[in-house]
Amino acid sequence: MKQGDLIDKMIAIGSACLNRDMQDSHSGNIAARWTNEEGTPCVAITRTGSQKGGLERADICFPAMESTDFGHYRASSETTIHARILSIEGAQASMHAHTKNAVVATMGPAGKSGPAAPLVPIDPLGRGFLEGSVPVHRFAVPSGSPEMAKIIPKYLEKHPTMMVQNHGAFARGRCLEEAFFRLCLVENSGYVRHLARGFGADESTLEREAAAARDGLFGLAPLATGSGADVYRHERLDQCDFDDEPQTKREFLKTGFRIFEQGISPFHTGSASIRCVDTMLHAPAASMPRGVPSPLLEIPLDDEDEKSFPVSIHRYIFRHSNFQTAIHTFTPEAEAAILYRDPGEAEPPDRIIPVDAEASFLYPAVPVLPAETEPGELLEALHDYNVAVVRRGGIWAVGEQSLSEALHHNSSVRDICLYRLGALARGLDLSELEPESARKW
Amino acid sequence: MDFIYGGYRGRLLEVDLSSGKLDTLPLPEELCKEYVGGRGLATRLLWDAMPPEADPLSPESAVVVASSPLVGTPAPTAGRGHAVFKSPLTGTIGSSNSGGDWAVFLKRCGYDALIIKGKSPEPVIVKIETGGAKLLPAGKLWGMDSHEATDSMLEGLDPKISRVLTIGPAGENQVRFASLVNNKNRVYGRGGPGAIFGSKNLKAVVVSGDQAVSIRDEELFRTGVDQGLYRLRAAPGTNRILRELGTAGLVRLIDVIDMLPHRNYQDTIHKLEDLNKISGEAIRKNILRRAKGCYRCPIACQRHTQVGTKEGEGPEFETVVLMGPVCGTYDLEAITLANYGCNEMGMDTITYGGTVACAMELFESGALTAADTGGIDLRFGNGEALKSLVPLVARREGIGDALAEGSRRLAERFGRPDLSMSVKGLEFPAYDPRASFIQALGYMTSPSGACHLRGGYAVSLAFFGGPREIPRFSVRQAPAAVRNVQNAGIILDTLGVCRFTSFAFHVDTWARMLSGATGAEFSTSHLEAMAERVAALERLFNLRAGVINTDDTLPERFQTESIATEEGDSLIAPDKIEKMRSGYYAVRGWDPGGVPTRETTERLGLSALEAKS
Repeated sequence: MKQGDLIDKMIAIGSACLNRDMQDSHSGNIAARWTNEEGTPCVAITRTGSQKGGLERADICFPAMESTDFGHYRASSETTIHARILSIEGAQASMHAHTKNAVVATMGPAGKSGPAAPLVPIDPLGRGFLEGSVPVHRFAVPSGSPEMAKIIPKYLEKHPTMMVQNHGAFARGRCLEEAFFRLCLVENSGYVRHLARGFGADESTLEREAAAARDGLFGLAPLATGSGADVYRHERLDQCDFDDEPQTKREFLKTGFRIFEQGISPFHTGSASIRCVDTMLHAPAASMPRGVPSPLLEIPLDDEDEKSFPVSIHRYIFRHSNFQTAIHTFTPEAEAAILYRDPGEAEPPDRIIPVDAEASFLYPAVPVLPAETEPGELLEALHDYNVAVVRRGGIWAVGEQSLSEALHHNSSVRDICLYRLGALARGLDLSELEPESARKW
Repeated sequence: MDFIYGGYRGRLLEVDLSSGKLDTLPLPEELCKEYVGGRGLATRLLWDAMPPEADPLSPESAVVVASSPLVGTPAPTAGRGHAVFKSPLTGTIGSSNSGGDWAVFLKRCGYDALIIKGKSPEPVIVKIETGGAKLLPAGKLWGMDSHEATDSMLEGLDPKISRVLTIGPAGENQVRFASLVNNKNRVYGRGGPGAIFGSKNLKAVVVSGDQAVSIRDEELFRTGVDQGLYRLRAAPGTNRILRELGTAGLVRLIDVIDMLPHRNYQDTIHKLEDLNKISGEAIRKNILRRAKGCYRCPIACQRHTQVGTKEGEGPEFETVVLMGPVCGTYDLEAITLANYGCNEMGMDTITYGGTVACAMELFESGALTAADTGGIDLRFGNGEALKSLVPLVARREGIGDALAEGSRRLAERFGRPDLSMSVKGLEFPAYDPRASFIQALGYMTSPSGACHLRGGYAVSLAFFGGPREIPRFSVRQAPAAVRNVQNAGIILDTLGVCRFTSFAFHVDTWARMLSGATGAEFSTSHLEAMAERVAALERLFNLRAGVINTDDTLPERFQTESIATEEGDSLIAPDKIEKMRSGYYAVRGWDPGGVPTRETTERLGLSALEAKS
């Protein structure tokens, strides 16, 4: 990668960090391996105190990997940590952010250095991509200390991410996008737990349930999804198979930006498709910020051997219905909302009922399907409701005409969940807010 | 005894004009589930009522007008009827939908649909009442325009329960694009059903009925209605633009997306000050008397207007553009008066405007001369000619006789078939296909020719679609997108409701209302399968009528002459046509020749019908 391209990528990811509120205005670091014209391995890293959401070219420093503290006093105070992470085999990029929700989820009293209780994701992305557990380490001096430079890389030799207790998360990746992807998933797992608490869920019970859950078709076996990790095996993240149709490409980009910016699905998760005649146009990592694309592919509809999730589900929808578009997202608000149990009920309900006026008319109810749902059952629900939540499987929505139409459903479900959460926070009785007519659906 | 399903009357009225026999027939229960009503039911009934090979103006042909289980209920806009016939203009299946509320009162008489066959030896009317139906001599009604005839037939009837469906002189003279008129100004316009009435010596069908329509599951039905009404109020297209400006509110919007045709579709270039003379805003400011809605319609896009001392209804958007810029004029007064004339004479204003525009280009090219026109100066922009030709066409006098055949036959007769802007002989409406590939494919594959409604009103989603905006320039997306908008249109035509509701809500809401009204489960997937069935049956009809795959195309002009659009210069080159057409056949389950495959007909339950044919 040319130096200029790398800088542009770091600027775009910094902006994406700001967009998703990954840390305060100045914290965190973005780093990548880079070899200069003399062939010297360097760390490309953000300047200390720089605003990650508004990086300029001069905010990127290039100290040598072997002498990170020589002549580069502008580089991040955590440059040495990143240089060591980047020395791990296969690590081309590393990132650090304060990931507030994940920090809160793992917060503990100050004390001696040592391992702390891990962050156990209860959401499918965390379970699938974060190995079911993110290690947490308590440091006596939890910022810029030599101890951190020594211990953090050791964690990352074995795990894709780790957390410094009460401080933030570190992640490595084969590229900057992958490091950011992992960082986002850590924060997402913390956020889902935060929301679940708001919906009255018992976290320890959820952890046990998550660990014991049998994944159905929609459940995520680790690294088996088409989102994120698969994408980073792709040669060109900016590949577009339908550049000859700029209007269609714009539709995908616009949709991807909305998904990312509104937090409908974490970075490079979710997927979106448009049905053509015997192919489908597909974004396998639909959530994307500006300047950090995901591949836009044209793939055949009739590949019977293709079993990977979620491509096979998109194909199934198009092969067995007239829907023209489909979007799948891992929306944290929905992941948490489906955990809510009505008072006195042992099991959570099989639907989410809107309590706000707009959604009450647009969506009398949003069905919640079990993780073991078969594609045909999902499609039936989509026929009746256009959108459905699958336990441990995200939100699926369809459109008869456009991506925008499907996106509206995913986006609306997020808001529906937030209204319910807000009502609970105010101590309101949800059953009194749910329209009587919704019970018929 | 109650019919098995709510919403229906369970009876059909079949009128054989040759024998003078009127039969009340039971509505087969299976047709309710398979074809529902409106366009679906009428298409299925036509299949049995006439051979597709028949001359549409012969006694062998038939016309079916059907209501639906929602028609006459409180469901929003549910007052529309659908006429299906073989078009004398195109030779394809003709399919035309109308607002007004004649269909409501047909149903209140106790009938779900009316089947008309044969030919009466003398001009007659059909009079239907709650207790039965009879034929009456038309007498002096024959020769009256649609307004006079309506007033005359309503004399002595209770105006609260009586309505008239009639033809004007154009229908009597078998003008190939003559319409059926109800409520004086609401028309079954496209494809020439009025000419068939005329060929059968049938002037009108008068209905007087007061039987209420029953709803089986009131709570479920009401939930759907409430949802629909809420969304109609929330959507700007249905809550503001159409109400405040009528359909002509589209003039400026369609110009913005480079689709507003000009001078027989030679270009889409207009001056803003010209458009401001014919826009919805101009109509509201200069000629509007009051706005009104059809049956149970909260949208209220009807425009009751006045020019000088003459009052009437319209012009609607399509009429404004076809009689206006397509004929090279922006004279709102001339357009409005020509529109009034067409309604009174009973002629489709779109085909009329398109045919006059064709004549104007023929005239300017020298193919048509002043000697041919009887001295009428037919250059583009002549609003006077636009007005004065109306009665000549309706009565087939002078050059009017040639125009009464429609643009395709006119252009062929004068040696320039390339100047007819039509598909299968039906003139284009007011959206230039070069600015939307998806709309272009809709025109190509519409069963009844270049009709924006039967072809799938794809372009409407470009400006009123809200979240459903379709990219206009995607060849890849076009086939499935067109199939979907066509199916959605079939569903609305089948339910007897207005297309404009689709700017606010979708099939799932209608499915709730339909399930509530009938007491039977009509899911969205069931309705989509029904739409596929209707589309295939329309195709089978057309195939037997002689339509072939190469008829699914566009005029040469759209293939070779580009217009300027936001995506650059645009035309629909032959390779794009072929790619979109073959893709469309594939997503429909039709073979490369456009014939539904055996697998498709079996899946849709059409094998027996096909075999019977």
